[in-house]
Amino acid sequence: MIITINGRQCEAEHGEFILDVALRNGIQIPTLCHSEALPGLASCRLCIVEVIENNWSKVVASCVYPITSEIEVVTHSEKIKRMRKTLLKLLGARAPQNAYVRKLLAEHEVTPAARFQGDPDENCIMCGLCVSACDKIGAGAISTVYRGIAKKVSTPYDEPSKTCIGCSACAGVCPTGAIKVQESHGKRIIWKKEFELLSCAVCGKPFITPEQIAYLKAKLNQEIDEILCETCKRKAAGERFAQTCADLTASKGLLR
Amino acid sequence: MTVEKNSQRILSYTRDVMAGYPREQRFTLAMLQDIQKKYKYIPRESLEQLSDHLGVPLSKLYSIATFYKALSLQPKGDHVIRVCDGTACHIRSSMVIVDELAKILMIKPGETTSDGKFSLETVNCLGSCAMAPAMVIDETYYGKVTPSRTREILNEYGGVDCE
Amino acid sequence: MSESNRPKRTILVCCGTGCLANHSLKIYHKLKELITKAGVDVAVETYIKTTGCNGLCEKGPIVKITPDDIAYFKVKESDVEEIFEKTILQGEVINRLLYLDSVTGKRFKSHKENDFYKRQMKIALRNIGEIDPADIFDYIERGGYESLKKALFTMTPESIIEEVVKSGLRGRGGAGFPTGRKWKQCAGYNNYPKYVLCNGDEGDPGAFMDRSIMEGDPHSIIEGMAICAYALGSNTGFAYIRDEYALAVKNMSNAINKAKEAKFLGENILGSGFNFDIQIVRGGGAFVCGESTALMSSIEGKVGEPRAKYIRSVEKGLWGQPTVLNNVETWANIPVIIEKGGEWYSGIGAPKSTGTKVFSLVGKIRNTGLVEVPMGIALRELIFDIGGGITAGRKFKAVQTGGPSGGCIPESLLDLNVDFDSLTKAGSMMGSGGMIVMDERTCMVDVARYYLNFLAEESCGKCLPCREGIKRMLEILNSICAGKGLAGDIELLQEICATVSEASLCALGKSAPNPVVTTIHYFEDEYLAHIRDKRCPAGVCKELTTYYIDPENCKGCGLCLKNCPAGAVSGQPKSWHSIDQKLCIKCGNCIDNCKFHAVKIR
Repeated sequence: MIITINGRQCEAEHGEFILDVALRNGIQIPTLCHSEALPGLASCRLCIVEVIENNWSKVVASCVYPITSEIEVVTHSEKIKRMRKTLLKLLGARAPQNAYVRKLLAEHEVTPAARFQGDPDENCIMCGLCVSACDKIGAGAISTVYRGIAKKVSTPYDEPSKTCIGCSACAGVCPTGAIKVQESHGKRIIWKKEFELLSCAVCGKPFITPEQIAYLKAKLNQEIDEILCETCKRKAAGERFAQTCADLTASKGLLR
Repeated sequence: MTVEKNSQRILSYTRDVMAGYPREQRFTLAMLQDIQKKYKYIPRESLEQLSDHLGVPLSKLYSIATFYKALSLQPKGDHVIRVCDGTACHIRSSMVIVDELAKILMIKPGETTSDGKFSLETVNCLGSCAMAPAMVIDETYYGKVTPSRTREILNEYGGVDCE
Repeated sequence: MSESNRPKRTILVCCGTGCLANHSLKIYHKLKELITKAGVDVAVETYIKTTGCNGLCEKGPIVKITPDDIAYFKVKESDVEEIFEKTILQGEVINRLLYLDSVTGKRFKSHKENDFYKRQMKIALRNIGEIDPADIFDYIERGGYESLKKALFTMTPESIIEEVVKSGLRGRGGAGFPTGRKWKQCAGYNNYPKYVLCNGDEGDPGAFMDRSIMEGDPHSIIEGMAICAYALGSNTGFAYIRDEYALAVKNMSNAINKAKEAKFLGENILGSGFNFDIQIVRGGGAFVCGESTALMSSIEGKVGEPRAKYIRSVEKGLWGQPTVLNNVETWANIPVIIEKGGEWYSGIGAPKSTGTKVFSLVGKIRNTGLVEVPMGIALRELIFDIGGGITAGRKFKAVQTGGPSGGCIPESLLDLNVDFDSLTKAGSMMGSGGMIVMDERTCMVDVARYYLNFLAEESCGKCLPCREGIKRMLEILNSICAGKGLAGDIELLQEICATVSEASLCALGKSAPNPVVTTIHYFEDEYLAHIRDKRCPAGVCKELTTYYIDPENCKGCGLCLKNCPAGAVSGQPKSWHSIDQKLCIKCGNCIDNCKFHAVKIR
């Protein structure tokens, strides 16, 4: 079906989310908690847009609003811009010193509200991506605890978690860099837990925890004989690919 | 009682609770409530045991235990004082009662006295608005409480030693 | 003994929460003991029962005697022997225990004659106070489960739904979605199993109608759910009940068991071939679980967070299956609608808000209690005629409706007809029907702060606007109440309100600004007094309040001195008393107890 976004006609499938259609058409909508791999959080609400249907307008979160009819979408109306600014102001009050948040505020020309007492050490904006990532991996080491304005992300009892494998996927998906990962001398510390790091068989860079290896073994249900870091793995794959191509060309040549 | 023995009892009670329900995630809250009723809080041993039993990560159970107000991870005092701060009680000065109790017990709402005798809490509404401001100690309701009556009421429970 | 030829007499002792707290159970036991001891000596065969809440909690404990139609109020344990000697043995009415109309000084033998009950119309509360909730035969005797029989054996699922649609019944738990339409939508999905849920997680502070129904007439809920289940083809129901409501959980469980024994629930109900069972889930104590998807999440054994997706529960609800969720009061209406027809029901109340609604009148009102009246009743009639007006001869200031999602309605709107749409138009909402009456001693800024504080704790905390918006609004309100309000605070509050009300993920967040929006809208002067003049006109905000005693009015009665917990009042009898500001803790006891308006606020 065809929907209109900011006056432009866009092709959309039934059930597709507005945000996905917009991004595919090069229409930018700001988001913090959206990730293709971990969809459906809809917690940051920055991606709000106006949907107009039957002369009736409503504000929806575009990341989870499914298209079921030929609607009209406005992503930057005066009202939306005003509300987004307020959301950013609230964000700025929560994590006043966070570099990424400050950058967002500047981009949207929002001046931080002096009225609020913000915590200068706060970097987490409670989007929930880290918890989703940890759940998806299956470690279940962190989760949201408490509720209301006291809600936060932590391990059980704020202690090193037994099930954490030190993969640091949580830190990888965090949009504001709020999760601290310390790496030095072949050790990694994350969520107060210390891990030994195993080194890449090729370049020698320490990069993976034994717990991760065990996890991968169990998941792939096979032995892992050689530990390769991402860079070396890619390099090796590239070399293998080049070799295959060469072989192929050679064999083709032979055939010809 | 030694710590170890106590821990054994907790584990054994938790096992009994778990045996009373099908091994499904949907009974998590019910099991936790039973444990809470018995101990007035959720001991860590219980939470870990339940995690193993249900195959649900400890972090998820910890999340639940901190989310629901009916569950507590902190041990409570012998007597739990719950002052109603529902709207009807609030506009009939329930916070003055809380302040007075806090002064006498020398704790803030949510805390337990150092001798472990009293815990002070506020609750959202006890549905007893006709007797506002109301409070409950353990299971006993007190209505139309005034600041001057609070000490008298506490005396029914042996009063406060730490003065 | 004029009525001695009657075959039997029943004494009904109210054991609703209010009466229980005033020791009604002791009254019951003592009366029972006297009756048993007297045995055959009593000329009339006498039964004694405990009942659910009679509504007029302010004047409890309540003891009713049928068929004599005598109602005694404020009964004490010490009155029991007299009741037994005079009324039970000799059929005499004890005048001093009858309801006293404070205006006319008249006493009424039957409770039905006094102003509090006379104007009521009971549908959802029809049995409460009249039956023993533990006895299924009491319910059956009053026509209970006849509607289920009618539905099972004389109606089709379509015609049941049609009756509910025709009745115009709207959900009694919050936003007022048409019940019949919900059922119809759910029936349209050909996907099984389907679930029927009862929301008994009543969380609005100041509302206790659902508690009263679950405690006092559980079978009406069960019957309503079973009728719906039959219409949808559902075999499983869940009743989610607030864990703090121990008696409600007990009475509902007991009623479910009794209904199963009597074949109104379980396999092959009444031989119809239809199966339906209800399980009880105890709530965990989270206001947000009143939100339907959060409640479902909680039943599934998870944290009670609302679902972000735009999918209706009638299509994908509990465990992703089609689900109908209604609240306790809604369910209690269903059997009557099936019995008397949707048309009959739609003839009651207002055109777009049909039927009756239960309200809890609480706060600074004389007759605190539960009332059921036709929709569309004027606010003034509800508060002044039924509720008896404001306590202590003070002036009405506002009424808060709809709980933390609702708003405050000022005196200028007292002639408003109470229905779903008029309340929404006034900036408030029906919610579950709590009405908290406020007088001149209630600070409206403090009220807004109170609700925000409530929501700060009760929000699930998932989405940014609700969590951070509430936190910052509370921060501003705290500072205004502490005398640190700044110019521009009102505008900043309004800005946050506008965003939170539209950008939040669920209904809790979207309605969270209502208490702030309405208090600013109707009581801006009071905000300005706090911010600009550093004064709390109601004398509630401690930092902004000084009490003093006006020598002109003080009679030296000593009530303030007697009631001061801090020893801050001094003075000789019959001479002017004064307050030592250094000792004063600003609890307001002096002003609340002074009969001569001598204690004043500066």
